[in-house]
Amino acid sequence: MSQIRTDVKHSAYTAGGAGVMSSRVQREGVFEAIKRGDAFATETHPAIQREEIVLGIDKFKLWYGTAQALWDVSMKIPRGKVTSLIGPSGCGKSTLLRCVNRMNDLIDSVRVDGEMTLNGDPIYGAEVDVIELRKRIGMVFQKPNPFPMSIFENVVYPLRIDGERNRGVLEEVCERSLRGAGLWEEAKDRLDQSALAMSGGQQQRLCIARAIAAEPEVLLLDEPCSALDPIATGRIEELIDELKGSYSILIVTHNMQQASRTSDFTAFMYLGRLVEYGPTEQIFLQPRLKETEDYVTGRFG
Amino acid sequence: MSVGTPVDPGLSSGAAKRGSKAPGARRGRAHSVVADGQPMIWLSGGALAIGLIMIIGLLGLVLFQGLSTFWPRSVVELTTARGETFMGQVAEFDLYEPQEYEFANLPGALADVAHAEANTRGGEVSRWQLRTGNYEDTDTHFDWISQLSILPAGAESDERTALADFESAVTFPEWAVVVERIEKGRFYGIPAAFLEGDQVLATDPAEIWGLFEQHHDEVRDLFAEKREVEKEGIGAVNRRIERARLEAKSVELERGVESPETAAAWQRYESELLVMEGEIAELTEERQRIEDLGTRYQVRFDTAYGTPRTLVLWDIVRAFPANRIGFADKLGIYLSRWNEFLRGDPREANSEGGVFPAIFGTVIMTLIMSIAVVPFGVLAALYLREYAKPGPLVSTVRIAVNNLAGVPSIVFGVFGLGFFCYIFGASIDQLFFAERLPNPTYGTGGILWASLTLALLTLPVVIVATEEAVAAVPGSMREGSYACGATKWQTISRIVLPRALPGIMTGMILAIARGAGEVAPLMLVGAVKLAPELPLDGVFPYVHPERSFMHLGFHIFDLGFQSQNSEAAKPMVFTTTLLLIGIVVMLNVVAIWIRSHLRRKFVSGHI
Repeated sequence: MSQIRTDVKHSAYTAGGAGVMSSRVQREGVFEAIKRGDAFATETHPAIQREEIVLGIDKFKLWYGTAQALWDVSMKIPRGKVTSLIGPSGCGKSTLLRCVNRMNDLIDSVRVDGEMTLNGDPIYGAEVDVIELRKRIGMVFQKPNPFPMSIFENVVYPLRIDGERNRGVLEEVCERSLRGAGLWEEAKDRLDQSALAMSGGQQQRLCIARAIAAEPEVLLLDEPCSALDPIATGRIEELIDELKGSYSILIVTHNMQQASRTSDFTAFMYLGRLVEYGPTEQIFLQPRLKETEDYVTGRFG
Repeated sequence: MSVGTPVDPGLSSGAAKRGSKAPGARRGRAHSVVADGQPMIWLSGGALAIGLIMIIGLLGLVLFQGLSTFWPRSVVELTTARGETFMGQVAEFDLYEPQEYEFANLPGALADVAHAEANTRGGEVSRWQLRTGNYEDTDTHFDWISQLSILPAGAESDERTALADFESAVTFPEWAVVVERIEKGRFYGIPAAFLEGDQVLATDPAEIWGLFEQHHDEVRDLFAEKREVEKEGIGAVNRRIERARLEAKSVELERGVESPETAAAWQRYESELLVMEGEIAELTEERQRIEDLGTRYQVRFDTAYGTPRTLVLWDIVRAFPANRIGFADKLGIYLSRWNEFLRGDPREANSEGGVFPAIFGTVIMTLIMSIAVVPFGVLAALYLREYAKPGPLVSTVRIAVNNLAGVPSIVFGVFGLGFFCYIFGASIDQLFFAERLPNPTYGTGGILWASLTLALLTLPVVIVATEEAVAAVPGSMREGSYACGATKWQTISRIVLPRALPGIMTGMILAIARGAGEVAPLMLVGAVKLAPELPLDGVFPYVHPERSFMHLGFHIFDLGFQSQNSEAAKPMVFTTTLLLIGIVVMLNVVAIWIRSHLRRKFVSGHI
């Protein structure tokens, strides 16, 4: 496997401008350097360092067969905050997200390198029980994917597979999760009905309820609104706001407004590299890299 | 349609408006007829129409013949030129080309007239098939009566100048009675006397009929009582004798022939046998008493064949004066025949009576087959689709499974006979039923082995359907389950299988349809012509999976091609076919109902 080529000529770019607050770092030709496959250091804003970290990603690399999709991604996800991943299609945001709960294990050709830790525990490694790991992480997918069972059984599914039989516990978790997902008032009278009969927006909130039922340490949202209409999207965004604080959320989105509205921190990715990572306000208003500014203002090209 | 006019491919043929020109039609490039797709519409529609015509035709034939068989028809009487009288029911009518000598036998000028008349119809004349019954007099059940040979009714001698037609030739004797007997088939006659013992009670037909109706039910009850004594009484004692013998035999097998225990066991058997033989003698006496009581009443009939015949009342299953009764009575007889057909045992080498054992055997066999094939097929398909690593080996297995569906079913029968009966069953006999040897228990055809053979036969159907259903479960659902921390098996059992259940049911429906109609392998592994003992009954141990059984499909084959009296059996072939189709439809409707319920629950989302 080809490793990252280090070109001496461009190594100057890799000396990051950490510490230079809210000022434009003069690094020309970042995209060109990435396209060439040069080594590249992420512009990480120092504000991240002050946060308590729930999920650490260190020099993470991933290959689909022989094609490398992630290149030395290093980032720290703060606890109790919403962090969004943005970037053009195919930049590896979803891939990175799916690495957190090791969903990429399901694809035979995937190979990874680097470290990830969840509250200090390694995510990758021979001794890690992936089933136990996934129980600590909630995930919501692009398209709502309720299971072919009742609303109640959908919500308590994570507990069911853990062998929980106590009806009282299950009912309590169901109500708490549905309230958490803002679905209780709509669903409380039809808990026994099939989840597949709900509307798309309701189904997605149900999936969120399911994801938070087991009180995960991290909640992963993979473009949760891309299949929803604007009103349902608005509800989900409100919900993300409400969940902030109790849950650490990592969200992938294509929608720049959504990232700026909902998240505390934003990471911009490009061709498998993490380009710039910092507080959302700074990324959108005073990005350090011209490329980031071009992207968030829509002048990307 | 003018050349160069593009037709919207979404429009049907009727919408291809003549001469209409769409804006921007490219002129100069001719659309060929083929490109327009008109011939394909006709071709595909025609293919469907031909298929429909064949299906409707087949079903219509089966339905008409099957439903009309039991309708009681009038009894006709006619006389031929040779002075023979026939009495019976018309079974069939057709045209045939007579041999030259049949014309030559006609008197005088009539031969030429008949010739000329036949020639106007392509050389053919009519003939009727009469069910004449009275086997003891006629040695046949059916007779063909040619138009050349019939005389008009009332003619004293052959003074014909033209061919008589059937309508002018037949009479409908008012008191002609159709008698359905336990043995020897139908009987047609006119009641002449009602006897009790040797004493004549009545000679007037109306009076005779009154007495018949008065006493018939009573003697039929006695007949049923006799059956009861034979089956429940004598049969039970015989079973006890057999059990006692097997007990002694198993002691002998265990201890050796020479041992004192064996001698004691056989001695005990002998003494028990003595007691039980006494019981049988008592029961036989009882049976004789019932028989004497039941056979008191007789009816003497005048027949079309000269000699009067006396029938014992209790040998008569059903009798009715066909030309006197009205529509309501005919309907009653029709329904009572259906009732006997559906609930009774067969009589007369299966050509009369009921098919209940065959219905029961078919349904039970299909159920056992489904119970065996569905779990087996589903597990195999799950492994193929979910666990096995895709590659050349899995592809080969899949192709092999699909090709299994193309193996002739008789080969499955041979395999079932060789493997299940002769290897598997024989081993079971050696281990558990040694005292019954050399008579096989499981080592011969039986309903269990037949069901398992058909399960093998229908396995590919279930595997293919399940694989497709499992593959059709959206990947997003599996991902959602994995993301919740479910293991592979939890995902399969809680998400994939429920969601795939309707598809699996489709496989089961196809398997049932295929299995219930299969005959060839069954002939080798347990379906028999007559098996009055059902695989489920009130005799310990109640379930007898080793018993051979009757099957509707095999019954049809047996009636149609193995019957002594094939003319009489022919209508039964249609009735039985109708019944088999009905049962398959019923099984399918139940399965489809369950499937649509599951689909509402697991797929579409509306409960």
